[in-house]
Amino acid sequence: MPESCHTSPAAPVSPDARTLALVGHPNVGKSVLFHRLTGTYVNVSNYPGTTVEVARAAARFDRAASMLDTPGVLALPSRSEDERATMRALLNENLRLIVQVGDAKNLRRTLNLTALLTELGVPLVMALNMTDEARARGVTVDVEALAETLATPVVATVATGGEGVAALTEALPHAKAPAPMLRYDTETEQAIHTVTALIAERAPHPHLAARGLAILLLGRDKEVASWISAQAGGAEILAKVEEIAPLVGRESLPARLARERGRAAEALAKTVSQQSAGADRTLSLLVGQLAVHPIWGWPLLLLMLLVVYFFVGDFGAGTLVGLLEEDFFGEILNPAVTTFVQTHLGSGWLSELFVGEYGLWTMGMTYALALILPIVTTFFLAFGVLEDSGYFTRLSVIANRAFGAIGLNGRAVLPMVLGLGCVTMATLTTRILNTPRERLITTFLLALAIPCSAQLGVVFGVLGGISFGAAAIWGVCIVLILLVTGWLAGKLVKGQRVPLITELPPMRLPVLGNVLKKTSGRLKWYLVEVIPLFLLGTFIMFVLDRLGVLPWIIEAGKPVVTGWLGLPSEASAAFVMGFLRRDFGATGLFALGNQLSMIQAVVGMVTITLFVPCVASVMIIFKEQGWRTAVLMLAIIMPVAFFVGGVVNHVLHLFL
Amino acid sequence: MTPPPPPHLERIRLTGTPTGRSVRLAEFGEEIDPLQREQLLAYGLSGAQSITVLQQRPMTVVLCEHMELALERDVAQHIWVEAE
Ligand SMILES: Nc1nc2c(ncn2[C@@H]2O[C@H](COP(=O)(O)OP(=O)(O)O)[C@@H](O)[C@H]2O)c(=O)[nH]1
Ligand SMILES: [Mg+2]
Repeated sequence: MPESCHTSPAAPVSPDARTLALVGHPNVGKSVLFHRLTGTYVNVSNYPGTTVEVARAAARFDRAASMLDTPGVLALPSRSEDERATMRALLNENLRLIVQVGDAKNLRRTLNLTALLTELGVPLVMALNMTDEARARGVTVDVEALAETLATPVVATVATGGEGVAALTEALPHAKAPAPMLRYDTETEQAIHTVTALIAERAPHPHLAARGLAILLLGRDKEVASWISAQAGGAEILAKVEEIAPLVGRESLPARLARERGRAAEALAKTVSQQSAGADRTLSLLVGQLAVHPIWGWPLLLLMLLVVYFFVGDFGAGTLVGLLEEDFFGEILNPAVTTFVQTHLGSGWLSELFVGEYGLWTMGMTYALALILPIVTTFFLAFGVLEDSGYFTRLSVIANRAFGAIGLNGRAVLPMVLGLGCVTMATLTTRILNTPRERLITTFLLALAIPCSAQLGVVFGVLGGISFGAAAIWGVCIVLILLVTGWLAGKLVKGQRVPLITELPPMRLPVLGNVLKKTSGRLKWYLVEVIPLFLLGTFIMFVLDRLGVLPWIIEAGKPVVTGWLGLPSEASAAFVMGFLRRDFGATGLFALGNQLSMIQAVVGMVTITLFVPCVASVMIIFKEQGWRTAVLMLAIIMPVAFFVGGVVNHVLHLFL
Repeated sequence: MTPPPPPHLERIRLTGTPTGRSVRLAEFGEEIDPLQREQLLAYGLSGAQSITVLQQRPMTVVLCEHMELALERDVAQHIWVEAE
């Protein structure tokens, strides 16, 4: 989400301060607790994979300590990109305390992770979160008994309501290095023992116990392996691991370790928790099942899209924009500003710079404030509600088959849907995907065909103003392009498709405060990042216009723009604007407004939707995929955009 | 000739389990790739865990403890379960 588009708001802490890390499964409330414990808000949403990078802030209760919010781990040893980020933090930070955030209604799974964390030799506190949901499902956990067994504090919490947070803060200083939860079988223990001794002697870690590292290493944790290999005696240790790994039994060592931890977790969970019968039919479960139902799932999706369309396209882009742009800016503000500027600056180029055709105020600020701001505000509100409800993950179930056709699986739904908020952030979220192949294809599709919120708003504004049909045609075009290019990409990019296994977080009632906080955070991002770019873009257009380059570009673009795409020649200017940001380009088309026929509007919007991704997201693609891939993507995207635009133009003329 | 009675309860594929039924996890087939097997374990599908099948299409959705898990057919058909 846009949050990562601006720099992290974390309070400054010195890098070698004592570090406390929140660690736990995805979607258990780590980020909510982080907010409670530090006062720093990081994105909170009801789906796994919200946090893909470590966030850091000074703790409220001890300004000298630095608190980390880590990406959720399904299990350790780390496998996926985001799990590795967490492992890296554990290895490289000045770690003094781990706060495991657990899910009280899934105690067995929580303890499965605890079984590994207790081996790290770092003081541990368990925040047993979601106790409200556990209660609603008839689950009770004997917190004292659990604390007794682990020999470390365990505090029941409801992070969203703040329950137990004070107790948690008080418990932190009492944390001790916990008692290990299990002994593995004799053979495995021997292997662990050998590696532990080697690590302790050749490559001791400043904070983490050698035994914990040995277990991770034998479990094939790539981050631990790379840390070890960077130590002086590392190569020898890794060689030893290779040597003993195949010796232990039929089952692979990592599987064996994991199984034993699972067994220990199950046994402990059984003794400290109770399930009262008959309490597991909750409303949340029913709604959730409806959302993934083979038949009812579809009407529900349609209903959701319609509601969003009417709220954003009709109310935001229609009513609000009408009030702001036409009535307030058009009738009152802009004439006043124009008169003011002209009386003070005369009517030369200087006043043109502010209030002319490509004026910083009349174009740049008016676009940003009167056209796009109301649209993105409504969009962010709707998006925040959906995010918090947990609906997005459920979408992956009904979309899985369609994504199968393009060589991906339903997990890719999440980055794609998040792309509708901000493509830049969504590109980062591709880290939750399991293979490099899935990441590459998804990144490409995001860059090509997923419009971000600002752009979506403009599209709604232009097409919604014409007819619902026009917006629907645009939607169908974009979906078709996604399917076709995705299918091609799936064929071209080597590698196998991975079948989907995913957790479906419970449907929850959105928390109003959280939705508002997210929306205002995103709006702030919009104002800080987008407005300067709009102003810069306007300035460039002004200069091009003054230098006489713009008419020349419009002339040069004629064969493509007028001939192939069938648009008025002024639309070329919009495409030039689109280089900076697609939504800026789309706004340029919006400004042509009533000069466009229905077909022209659809063709223009399809083309500009596919057009180059915004500067920020190109930079993220560079960072995540390397410059070769980024350049290749750009080289594919531009011609495809114009090609498809033309095809749509000709096809629509055949039928309409 | 009648086949000898099965030594345990009969094993069926997860995909063959009727919706609404609770079953016990028996085994993961060899066809499931080791990484995915680990993932299943991490989600808590281990031991003789009891799971409830919520639906079979478009994906198999099961309730395991209080977590809903969606599994693609390719995986679910290689998970063997037995009646409780
Ligand atoms: N009912 C309930 N919901 C919670 C609780 N803690 C967090 N949540 C919700 O769980 C979801 C995930 O929270 P988040 O902090 O983003 O989880 P993270 O992935 O672990 O960082 C959000 O929708 C929260 O509002 C809790 O104690 N009770
Ligand atoms: Mg988080």
